[in-house]
Amino acid sequence: MPFNQKPQKFNAKINDVTIGSGDKTVTFGGDCTFPFYSFDAESENSPKIGVEISDMGLEGVSEGIKAYYEGATTMGEIAQKAAAMEGADFVALILEGGDPNGVNKSIDELIEVVKEVAAAVDCPLVVEGCKNVEKDAELLPKVAEALQGRNALILSEKEENYKAIGAAAGLAYNQIVGAESAVDINLAKQLNVVTTQLGVDAKKIVMNIGSAAAGYGYEYVVSTMDRIKGAALGQNDNMLQMPIITPVSAETWNVKEATASEKDMPEWGPQDERGIDMEVETAAADLAAGSDAVILRHPESVKTISKLIKALA
Amino acid sequence: MFKVTFAFENGSTVEAFANAGDNLLEVARGANVAIDAPCSGNGACGKCRVQLKGGELDSKKTLHISDEEYSAGWRLACMSKITADVEVLVPDIASAYKSRMKVADLSSKEEIAIFENAKHEVEAAGIELTNSLDVVEVHMEEPSLDDTMPDNERLTRALRKYMNLKRIRIPYSVLRKLPDVLRSSKFSVKCVIRTTPDDMFVYDIFDGKEDVIIGGLAVDIGTTTVSAVLINMETGEILAKSSSGNGQIRFGADVINRIIEAEKPGGKKKLQDAVIKETINPMIHEMCRSIHFSEQQIYRMCVASNTTMNHLFAGINADPLRMEPYIPAFFKTNSLFASDVGIEINPDAHIIMAPNIGSYVGGDITAGTLVSMIWNRPEFSLFIDLGTNGELVFGNSDFMMSCACSAGPAFEGGDISCGMRATDGAIEACTIDKETMEPTYKVVGDPGTKPVGLCGSGIIDVISELFMTGIINPKGKFVREGKRVRHDHYGMGSYVIAFEDEAGSVKDVEITEVDIDNFIRAKGAIFSAIRTMLNSLDFDVSMIDDVYVAGGIGSGINMANAVHIGMFPDIPLEKFHYIGNSSLTGAYLMLHSTPAEKKTYELASNMTYLELSTVPTYMDEFVGACFIPHTETSLFPSVLEEMQKR
Repeated sequence: MPFNQKPQKFNAKINDVTIGSGDKTVTFGGDCTFPFYSFDAESENSPKIGVEISDMGLEGVSEGIKAYYEGATTMGEIAQKAAAMEGADFVALILEGGDPNGVNKSIDELIEVVKEVAAAVDCPLVVEGCKNVEKDAELLPKVAEALQGRNALILSEKEENYKAIGAAAGLAYNQIVGAESAVDINLAKQLNVVTTQLGVDAKKIVMNIGSAAAGYGYEYVVSTMDRIKGAALGQNDNMLQMPIITPVSAETWNVKEATASEKDMPEWGPQDERGIDMEVETAAADLAAGSDAVILRHPESVKTISKLIKALA
Repeated sequence: MFKVTFAFENGSTVEAFANAGDNLLEVARGANVAIDAPCSGNGACGKCRVQLKGGELDSKKTLHISDEEYSAGWRLACMSKITADVEVLVPDIASAYKSRMKVADLSSKEEIAIFENAKHEVEAAGIELTNSLDVVEVHMEEPSLDDTMPDNERLTRALRKYMNLKRIRIPYSVLRKLPDVLRSSKFSVKCVIRTTPDDMFVYDIFDGKEDVIIGGLAVDIGTTTVSAVLINMETGEILAKSSSGNGQIRFGADVINRIIEAEKPGGKKKLQDAVIKETINPMIHEMCRSIHFSEQQIYRMCVASNTTMNHLFAGINADPLRMEPYIPAFFKTNSLFASDVGIEINPDAHIIMAPNIGSYVGGDITAGTLVSMIWNRPEFSLFIDLGTNGELVFGNSDFMMSCACSAGPAFEGGDISCGMRATDGAIEACTIDKETMEPTYKVVGDPGTKPVGLCGSGIIDVISELFMTGIINPKGKFVREGKRVRHDHYGMGSYVIAFEDEAGSVKDVEITEVDIDNFIRAKGAIFSAIRTMLNSLDFDVSMIDDVYVAGGIGSGINMANAVHIGMFPDIPLEKFHYIGNSSLTGAYLMLHSTPAEKKTYELASNMTYLELSTVPTYMDEFVGACFIPHTETSLFPSVLEEMQKR
């Protein structure tokens, strides 16, 4: 009996959300199939890759990343090199120096960095906060203000601070709102519901449903993403049809596989390679589970994942 | 040694002595001063407030006391150490009301009607309302020099004439009275007896001319509230009714904290004393005094309570209940007598217990199931008991399945800053105007009673109204501003239902975001348990024909509001029936009717127990249900419709 292919058709699709302005834009989402099921239907927008840079410059990054950015001294130059990376679709600036439990840079200081980066590159921009909910509630509205006109993605509002960040980014300054929840389909949906109730357009929300490095409780991430896609497409749940962005590097470059030096762990091989491996493995799994965009750091990782997307999409 | 004086708002005081460094809450517990401390003195709940009136205390400052309150002398007892002689005021706020005993006024026939109704329903199901207690009149020949038989043999022989039983037992308590009663009555007496097919037990003996009432006591021991009825065993008439806070509450609000407390040295005795000596015995005395009845004339007692409560009541180690594989010491037992546990009724009175089904589904549920009558109908019914533990039974005359979920004490007013039991001063119903955001409320008690706090039904109303008027969002966070919406300096929102000047206590009656959050978790636990249990049977909520809701959460729940907040499934409101405290009603039936008692044992052994913690999707259901009305709004179509109308 000949094989008779029956495409799995859904009467729903993931929202397409475009970030960036002018002729430099990228669009997340838009698909009506499970990830890479190109045999069911044509993919509208293949998954996108962002390159993460930090307001802390090149402090603490791995040797390989440092080597790529060699010669770049200002944040503007770093951003330009990131934007030029092979396979990169957008630049993601993380303001980790703002963390009150860390360097605790002032909001003005951080906004200067945001402005410098925005001036240096014209590619689509994602700005990530410092992860502290109180600080982000003050910082990210300022970021949204500073980036007016850039149609940037502000990562991210959480349940605790969605009112401040959602209203500033989604209503006042017309940016794209990133909605971050903690690896749970219900919590993700609840945040989308309350955000849209604020008046934010559901089509201007991108979810970060939470992540982990592969091997670190990662099964929950896969299952959550998978079920979100299932509900969005199968049940036409419009409160879960937002595309998903997953900041991978912030997780993977902090686990021991990436941080242990070669001197301490000679049997594990070169440190830089291990970091790349963690980043690539996690990102590949995120994409296969349902992420519409990933954020990476190492040029090797970006190149590899970009190749993977081209081959599968 | 320092002197610690506890003053109450009614002017009375209690004095105790303590060493430097002693914890004030511990001192209060030692002196039997009930300061409510649901968190067991961890500084987490902020309920054990006292006001410093004289002397000094070494108190840590906490989030629960604002700066103004601190300068007015308010302290948390659990965070205070004794450093000198001190006098503190124990306030009459909502939580203190919680432990206040109440003997119900039986003039309102509603209370009685619930019992009468239950009696008729079981009778209609073919269960006879008979028990083994009886009064018999016995006439004996007076002794003489020719007839020298001793008194006890004389009585035994006379009784044997009535009933040809091999063994007749006369306990010490009767023997002691025997010579006097026989002679004063001229050997014409009435005996209270219990007969079984092969023996007879004589509980008591009276002069034959006396009118003898056989008393019986049914008690529902809830984690938070204890209630009881004193009945006439022959007719089933309710003679008195009483309710009180469970004295164990100062050892923690939930069963787990109680078990942990009971594990400490001397803990089992402490907890048993708290529920028997401090709670049930005073209730018995109060009821007996109100109707001039002798405690000694209570010859049988029936207890319906959750598994932990009946273990602690019996003074039995409850520790295995909270640890895998969660095995109780007994499901049912008939080896308990009043004198064993110090219940101050007739010492030979038998204590029967509604049987447990599992470590978290106890006798309160089997007793309630008896009352709900779901075992006698072909339609599918759901029985829900809203207590500190929420328990569910689903089924019909062919099968029944039960499960328990931890709802916390919120339904009975615990874990809610202004929460209280449904007694005088409790707001039991409320509506809020959408435009002005002004509330209208109904208070338990005589007309004019000022509001002191919120009971379960009031909390449901307030949260539902806050949500339907758009004052809070589905997460329970305040999104509208107004005169009655406040934010503290940590940004936490609250809604004032009654300002201090309209309230009958020292502070505003309000509901905070933390309260709402606690309540959302409680209702989420109930709803997700319903869904999980039905899913496990491949049923959905549309297949439920009737829902019976029990629990002492107020005189009645506004079912529409309970659906609005997503506590109960969105099915037609006429399917919901509130059946009051079914645990107490069930205990009453088991006490009054031996066939009903047997039926309850049978129901318990036929019920399947579903352990929710082993169902992988339960957590998912729970998180989905922790939203008003639910993350999956399509489960609540009528709520959406209603919201659009408003």
